[in-house]
Amino acid sequence: MSDPLLSVENLHTQFRTPEGPVNAVNGATFTVEAGEIVGLVGESGSGKSVTARSIMGLESPGEIVEGDIVFDSVDLTEAPEATRRRARGTSMSMVFQDPNTSLNPVFDVGEQIAESLKIHESPDSQSLLDYLHVPLVSDRREWQEHRKRAIELMEQVGIADADDRVGHYPHEFSGGMRQRAMLAIALAAQPELLIADEPTTALDTTTQARILDRIRDLRDAFDTAVLLITHDLGVVAETCDRVVVLYGGEVMESGPVERVLSDPQHPYTQGLLDCLPRRSDRGSPLPAIEGSVLDSGNSTPGCPFASRCEYATEACRVSDPPTIRPERSRRVVCGELDTVRQDAESERNAAQPRVDGGDRSIERASQERHEADVQTSGTIGKDGTGRASGWENPESRSDDTTVESETPLLEIDGVSKTFDVTGSRLERVFGQRQLLGAVDEISFRIDAGETVGLVGESGSGKSTLASVIAGLESPTEGEVRFDGATVGTVEERTPEQLSEFGFVFQNPTESLNPRMTVRETLAEPLRERNWETEQQDRRIAELLELVGLSSKHAARRPHELSGGQLQRVAIARAIALEPSVVILDEPVSALDVSIQAKILNLLLELQERLGLTYLVISHDLEVVHHIADRVLVMYLGKVMERGPANALFESPAHPYTEALFEAIPTLEDDGTAQPLSGAIPSPVDPPDGCVFHTRCPMAEEQCRREEPSFETIAGSHSRCHFAEDVTEEPAEPTIEPDNP
Amino acid sequence: MSYVLYRLATAVVVLFGVSLVTFGFVHATPGDPAETILIEQTGQQPSSEAVEEFREAEGMNDPVHHQYVDWVTGAVHGDLGQSYFSDAEVSSLILDDLYNTLELAVASILVALVIAVPTGIASAIHQGQPIDVTSQIGALIGVSMPNFWLGYLLIIVFALNLNMFPVAGSGGLEHLILPAIALGTGMAAIVTRLVRTSMLEVIDQEYIDTARSKGLKERIVVYKHALRNALIPVVTVVGLQLGFVLNGAVVIEIVFQRPGLGNLLVDAIFARNYPVVQGVVLVAAVTFVVSNLLVDLSYRYLDPRIKLGESQQ
Ligand code: SF4
Ligand code: SF4
Repeated sequence: MSDPLLSVENLHTQFRTPEGPVNAVNGATFTVEAGEIVGLVGESGSGKSVTARSIMGLESPGEIVEGDIVFDSVDLTEAPEATRRRARGTSMSMVFQDPNTSLNPVFDVGEQIAESLKIHESPDSQSLLDYLHVPLVSDRREWQEHRKRAIELMEQVGIADADDRVGHYPHEFSGGMRQRAMLAIALAAQPELLIADEPTTALDTTTQARILDRIRDLRDAFDTAVLLITHDLGVVAETCDRVVVLYGGEVMESGPVERVLSDPQHPYTQGLLDCLPRRSDRGSPLPAIEGSVLDSGNSTPGCPFASRCEYATEACRVSDPPTIRPERSRRVVCGELDTVRQDAESERNAAQPRVDGGDRSIERASQERHEADVQTSGTIGKDGTGRASGWENPESRSDDTTVESETPLLEIDGVSKTFDVTGSRLERVFGQRQLLGAVDEISFRIDAGETVGLVGESGSGKSTLASVIAGLESPTEGEVRFDGATVGTVEERTPEQLSEFGFVFQNPTESLNPRMTVRETLAEPLRERNWETEQQDRRIAELLELVGLSSKHAARRPHELSGGQLQRVAIARAIALEPSVVILDEPVSALDVSIQAKILNLLLELQERLGLTYLVISHDLEVVHHIADRVLVMYLGKVMERGPANALFESPAHPYTEALFEAIPTLEDDGTAQPLSGAIPSPVDPPDGCVFHTRCPMAEEQCRREEPSFETIAGSHSRCHFAEDVTEEPAEPTIEPDNP
Repeated sequence: MSYVLYRLATAVVVLFGVSLVTFGFVHATPGDPAETILIEQTGQQPSSEAVEEFREAEGMNDPVHHQYVDWVTGAVHGDLGQSYFSDAEVSSLILDDLYNTLELAVASILVALVIAVPTGIASAIHQGQPIDVTSQIGALIGVSMPNFWLGYLLIIVFALNLNMFPVAGSGGLEHLILPAIALGTGMAAIVTRLVRTSMLEVIDQEYIDTARSKGLKERIVVYKHALRNALIPVVTVVGLQLGFVLNGAVVIEIVFQRPGLGNLLVDAIFARNYPVVQGVVLVAAVTFVVSNLLVDLSYRYLDPRIKLGESQQ
């Protein structure tokens, strides 16, 4: 076999910190062949990004202290900076995680792509004045040529109207389009190796699906090798050929994707796979990996995973574990593989039905569980029709045979919210107002003790709706009722009403005051309600215990806590005043899978112990599926489909819901699903008829004219003219002629 | 476009306010200007008829609001009245000196930028190294040094001892260099610090890594991708500093005996030459407002994210 395109050997990248040097990459070894897509996975802190940056030569302020990076038969660690720069310009490119920060805001997109083309053409003769476009010095004709090529590249990565868009600045692009532009910059160098660092993590699932599609297409077309860094194993399953699992800066396991994901051998890989919500029974606790990634990868011997591994032995801690090759082209670094295998074997024997029944038995079990719920709790009607009348019109619920509490805990009644986005003062003066309808006449109810999930892409209005319910925004029309009484904005609510609501936001680092200790953060709401100091202390101790933190955390400040611990503090603060409703806005999407699992478990546990009612807003369908009883799917401010979680997830009755499902990369997927085309239309000027018709694969003439009303299908309510057809052939979405 | 109109409209309102305040101040000063002026002109106590005659001639007996309206109407047409002491038009007096003052202001800003931008960048790139430490100490000294003191120092060293430059006066580059350095140094110190912090912040941004990942030379990364972003806050501050530069110019003009608005204004104040005082203050205000407007509009070029319609919410 010829040499691989890239071979990383025993790489150590070191950072100097006040506490001494830390090896973020600590002996990583792997290869990438030409034309191959390799996934590099691991939790945050596992050294994935630093590995990628070391390959690119962007490790600064870190330093490569040991090991080799051989690319195209050249050892980059020994090459002078000029060689490394030349490699970046001509044969390797990188796409960064957050397209909001990776494009330069002050140059238009065309310029940024053109630069890349120019460097590729003449990497060694870069003159500052030429790049600054100084008249006379700069070769205008050449730049114009490059700009033309830039337009072609933009078309290639799927940016529509490239002719027009080439002169736009990054802030005029949506997140997905920015990432495409970034991709175009990377591809301009016609790289042999493309490194993509979490390229889709900041994007919606539907956008993610299309970006990943592009990456695969490009590999197919140009035989580009791709190193795809991600924490999402679904993305790996759908996109990659081979996977490398990194932990503590070392490779734990590597091999072909199908083999590693279907038969993980290393305890860490197993743990990562187990904590995915989609693998577990709905509502049941997710298995989680105990502990957290070590802060400092140090060069002491022993398996880095030992502190969290349930199989760890004394030997694991004192000596480096051996590398085992269970199959051709597979490597596992673990000293206790025999025990691990035996254990898996006995587990498999114990859970017999799981083996032959596969996933189906799990689903059956969850369905049974859910049906039991339906009968006993009475929060969900016996069949779809009963439910429908209950939701549409509270008064007519008397003929509903199931026993229901008379007043729902929370009732959202015809809520609309529009924003005035009129551009300039003059337009305002002349009455040319532009209104953005963020939320459009939404009605639903939440009963005590249940969990309602709100899903949709960004721009669907789900967060605005949550702000209205939370009282942070006042509705333009309609009202929110709590326990039968109308509640207005935060200023209008009584202290009692205020304490009935708790909030948890996406990013705990932003929502917690960095200068306050955990104790101060938790005491704040209590102090506002004039609790005695003694009572406060007791409550804080209680809260810490509830969210699984110990008293030693009370004195810490946010920067001394991990992401998961911070989110626990945020949850503790939300439930401090014993609210009945907790609104969770993307509660886990900023967290690693293993931590995500723990937080979801905590939420379920708290609900059971405290009888909480949840409203969960998320773009992650798997998360919502895992914890919600009922789900509302929003698009452009309107509810497209709503129904019991089970019915909705089993057989979506709306083309949009279906499309959202198809966009999720799953472990079983082979990447054949058709992602949703086009972007969400502007809410300032929503499409006539069905708002989804511009992107709907099933759209007909009727959809362009008539707005559909809710149809009841198999327990769900779907706002689609052809709702029945959606459920009838769930496996076969209407096939469209290929979009360019 | 509507933003430009909006800005122009506010500028007019501001100038109107300035004219009112200037006018008000002059008229609220105690003492009868007519009498004072006649004493100055003739050197003896004037008769009450003479005072009355003078007041009549200068329109001082009209109701105050008439005087104001006359003055503003004149000003709009470029007529700021006449000096009490000569037949010279105030507007032409000012025009002569305005050129000198603007020349000094612009020169000192150039001095400041020429010193500050490269030093700030070097300081940021070599953070913590000797070059950074030196420039930071330099900036500290520059900020703490009063400009008139620096002015005298420069005169003593370069004009009196070394005879490299003339001590005072105007005309030609050699007359401009010392005053511009005296006035520009303080600003250079402030801008150096600003460029440094701004640059440090920008260098940490991910788009800088993107630029490097394209294979760009570090020089182009710094001077094209980073500098353009780092300059955005610098432009704001330089724009705001313009007011202080005009302020400082008054002092420096006196130190260097340079003809200019500063000397004109001070002389006029002592002589109670009110038309001149009013005129100079008004012109200074116009300069300030116009330059701020230009700074604002230049953002559009530097930072495409700023939509002109939205920046003033
Ligand atoms: S070597 Fe030991 S500690 Fe490491 S994964 Fe294997 S069993 Fe666990
Ligand atoms: S009504 Fe038409 S456009 Fe709307 S979702 Fe149904 S099929 Fe699609």
